Amino acid sequence: MMKDLLWAESQKLHRSKILWIAGFATVMVGLIVFAQGQFTFYDRRYIDGAGWFMTAAQSLATFYVLPAVISLLGSYMICREEQEDTLKSLRLIPVDEVKLTLAKMILAFVFSVLIYLLLFAITFLVEAVLHLEALSVGLVLENLKIYFLDGVGVFFAISPIIALVARMKKGYWLALVFAEIYSFAGLFASMSQQLKTVYPMTAVFNISGYYNANMFQVLIGVVILMVCVILSLLILKGWNRKTK
Amino acid sequence: MLKLIQVEFLKLRRRKFIWLMLLAALFMPLAAVFYFSSVKGTGVDPIMFYKWTAFSYTPWIILPVVLGMLCTMLMYNENQYDMLKQLWIVPVNKMAYFFSKFAVVLVYSICFMLVTATASILTGVLSGYIPFDSESVLYLLRKCMEISLLTAFAVLPVLAVAAAQKGYILPVCLTLIYTFLGFILLMVNMYLHPLSSMTAIVMYDIPGVVFDQPLNIPAAFLCIGVWAAASAVLANVALVRRK
Repeated sequence: MMKDLLWAESQKLHRSKILWIAGFATVMVGLIVFAQGQFTFYDRRYIDGAGWFMTAAQSLATFYVLPAVISLLGSYMICREEQEDTLKSLRLIPVDEVKLTLAKMILAFVFSVLIYLLLFAITFLVEAVLHLEALSVGLVLENLKIYFLDGVGVFFAISPIIALVARMKKGYWLALVFAEIYSFAGLFASMSQQLKTVYPMTAVFNISGYYNANMFQVLIGVVILMVCVILSLLILKGWNRKTK
Repeated sequence: MLKLIQVEFLKLRRRKFIWLMLLAALFMPLAAVFYFSSVKGTGVDPIMFYKWTAFSYTPWIILPVVLGMLCTMLMYNENQYDMLKQLWIVPVNKMAYFFSKFAVVLVYSICFMLVTATASILTGVLSGYIPFDSESVLYLLRKCMEISLLTAFAVLPVLAVAAAQKGYILPVCLTLIYTFLGFILLMVNMYLHPLSSMTAIVMYDIPGVVFDQPLNIPAAFLCIGVWAAASAVLANVALVRRK
């Protein structure tokens, strides 16, 4: 059943333009950070430093753009059934709405990881073209790990927002605004050592290795993200009880 | 035209979420209270406090994102309920329709910055970080007016794209990218993007702000003007095509 739902959801996404738009947004983020790399500091452009582009792109994208894009995709997948009036037909089949929402959440998770890997591919290619000889295998693999864990962690961090949208049905605007403010607030949370450890968006950076964090901070980060996942599951469960 | 603007405002009464978005205006004033409590303590220069609350991330990120969403909502609403056909039958002039939406964005932008200014004064004075003096308050209000007017013109490209699209996904993603681009280009070239040009115009006389690029206010106005004119043309072409 779950397999069928996942297949159906992926087919729906294929027909939608949102994947292209999200891909375009990711490419644009790469281009914009590349433009920032032209900034000269002490007679040296940022982009000339090996690894700068890969490091800067993931942090800037996470604070300003990608969480909102991921939550937009998640909320779009959930809200479109209500908007396009297909939910009634799905209920007639009958489809378990919680399983349906879970399938959509799983796809949003996969999308989150893929979008970060796409950004990694773009930044790595640019770095390779600019200064291949200065790139070590260790540096590339370390960045690949950071991007992958960012993709996983960011989805977990924003999952309560997507779950909340599933409950509200027409709240996709809220998902966007919440996700944008939530990720942007990470900039301020990163100023305080304590807040940095417990705030979900910065906890992702502690786990991924972008921030220099000790084992305790990483463990707290894992716990915080687990709390986010449990919270989103509770929201979905509560919603299921309400609809029954 | 005035009737169209009035109708647009009447429609807003039914949209609670648009008013909820005004809460985003409180974000930086509240963040400033936490920042100054942990870093600076009391006796802060009012202009320095306002630089944090109203002249930094609010015009760079928060206001453009909120206005971009508002533009998308205003345009998407008519598409969602298939109202455009009826409007064209009335008939409503397409550019008058576009500029009536812009009038809403402009007024909303002014309201947003007035909320930011009020929250900045209240959080600063009530927490005891800054003294209340009329000179700095008037300066804050003047700057907030400049920011609100210029930002509304700077987000015209988003309004034009929203007018050209039936859905909301592209205009919303564009809002995020457009704002992020404006923020990053501040450091590279301020005269390419309307939002970074707006920052150049607003920030040039704020004490303590140093630009690493030569300041050219006419070029900044020209940038905003060219983008606004191009947006109006794009919106006109898109609306004429969508019969």
